[in-house]
Amino acid sequence: MKALDLIFDPSITPALIAALVISLMGAALSVFVVLKRLAFIGQGVSHAAFGGVGIAIILGVHGVTTQGQIGQLLIVVAFSILAALWIAALTRVQRGRTDTAIGVVLSASMALGFVLFTISESRHAHDAAGHAGHAHQDEHHVIEEVLFGNILNTNWTNASIAIAVSIAILALVWFVRRRLIFWAFDEPVCDAFGINTKRTTDLFMVILAIAVVMAMQIAGVVLAAAMLVLPGAAALNLSAKLTTVFIYSIIIGVTGALIGMLIGLQWSYPLGPTIVLTQSVMYLATLVSKSARVRLRS
Amino acid sequence: MPTSTPNLESAVEIAHVSYQYPPTGFDAKQSNALVDINLTIEQGSKLGILGPNGGGKSTLIKLILGLLKPESGSIRVFGHSPTRARELGLIGYLPQRIESDLAWPISVHQVVSLGLACKRKPWEKLSQHDHASIDRALALLQISDLRDRPIGALSGGQLQRAMIARSIASIPKLLVLDEPMVGVDISGQQRFGSLIETLRNELDLTIIIVTHDMRAIAAVADRVACLSRTLHFHDSPDGLTPAVLAQVFAHDVAGVFGELHIDAHAADECEDPSHQQAHKHTHTCDHDSHDHKAHENGHSKGDQL
Repeated sequence: MKALDLIFDPSITPALIAALVISLMGAALSVFVVLKRLAFIGQGVSHAAFGGVGIAIILGVHGVTTQGQIGQLLIVVAFSILAALWIAALTRVQRGRTDTAIGVVLSASMALGFVLFTISESRHAHDAAGHAGHAHQDEHHVIEEVLFGNILNTNWTNASIAIAVSIAILALVWFVRRRLIFWAFDEPVCDAFGINTKRTTDLFMVILAIAVVMAMQIAGVVLAAAMLVLPGAAALNLSAKLTTVFIYSIIIGVTGALIGMLIGLQWSYPLGPTIVLTQSVMYLATLVSKSARVRLRS
Repeated sequence: MPTSTPNLESAVEIAHVSYQYPPTGFDAKQSNALVDINLTIEQGSKLGILGPNGGGKSTLIKLILGLLKPESGSIRVFGHSPTRARELGLIGYLPQRIESDLAWPISVHQVVSLGLACKRKPWEKLSQHDHASIDRALALLQISDLRDRPIGALSGGQLQRAMIARSIASIPKLLVLDEPMVGVDISGQQRFGSLIETLRNELDLTIIIVTHDMRAIAAVADRVACLSRTLHFHDSPDGLTPAVLAQVFAHDVAGVFGELHIDAHAADECEDPSHQQAHKHTHTCDHDSHDHKAHENGHSKGDQL
């Protein structure tokens, strides 16, 4: 089988490892995202990251060299964290109207990204008339990758960063898990218990922003948030015990990524979208099994 | 009614506290939520805070909890600032509405242990002592048999007991209950009253109960504070005669309690104004208090995400 040959190909290994590790982290976070109803914040942050990519490109920090890759990643992460904190702050100002806050931040950042891309393009056209056509094409390719991800671009540098960041985030979440659960379950009372919920919210926004940027490597701006929603949403259809939900979510997230990659490699589908589609099908399956169980009981 | 003599040391001291919410827009009128409140709550007392909607009950609660900062005046809770008292775990709190998502995959026992779990280091499990206080809280609220049930499977009353159990599991010294008796009938109020009495005696609690239902006050409280922007009355509920009420609430009281016939029937209808919003009674209950209430609610959601 083509997929099995390819998946053990050494050139795919970093992409495979990155995809599995990032989906594992995304799956763990997704339980909080779904329970705290932050799915749209994830969506907002990932689209906002597009503005970050625009800034990186206008500053000339591209993902061609290792240094360029790390530089671009840092700029995008910083921008996404700012966007996430901005959403949180606007929500507080707007008295809980998260959708308004997301609407503002998402559109402003997307608009900024496109303007910067265009400026950078026209600059290239001016600077070197001879290479203009080439540069133009290059940037369109970049935009597409940013929007839908290109996991096959992953080299060992990206993969190492993904592993390190994912482990760091998982460790941090484990460290503050109880406070996160209380905060997600009942924020007003959590506050009355002397837990600083504003700081907890901001902390989770930072975690979410970093996770979204990681997921973007796989699924791009448009689909990244799905990896931070689908596994948790699916797992919640399967169990009423919190620990079990986390375990199911991780299993669904990781196997979804693996199966998605195999399908994508076999038929040469784009990998990020295929992974997201696979996880969506798994979500649908859990939904069907849940309603079947409900019907059996009655 | 009071069976044990309250300790005369004060649990909460409120001196000259005023608060007004920031205006919501350029064209919005700024209204004083609370004006010059002075109130001393003795340790071991069960204080009922009675007042019309929009009278500032929830605002006063938030000030005591340190969720709002007073514009002027000072609040001490067991000698600490409210924020500090909260951090020290001295305050237990039951909000007016339970805003949690009841579809959560979480059991009664887990809910009750949330507060204590947050106090442990990430690598520590709950201690023997923690387990003992959780079991005791469940037993006091008579929900020990529900401990493994998912919270979504509880009735409204059971859920409220679970939430009260959560707020006493961490053994606070002050318990604040915001409108715990909405929609509770008379016999339910008596049962709730004896539950409150038990909690106070077993856990040496000082208890604040907020309500707009004056019948309920007599069942649960041994002190009463009447609040309508400012404090009108602070004494034993026995002194709370219709004449006093009429005096302290002035025009407000007709708006909230209807004509001042304090019989069970009229009070019943006034019990839950939120229902009336839906049904639009022609009753005089609660006529102009909705905007105030909406105002308060808006703020209570302000910190949420």
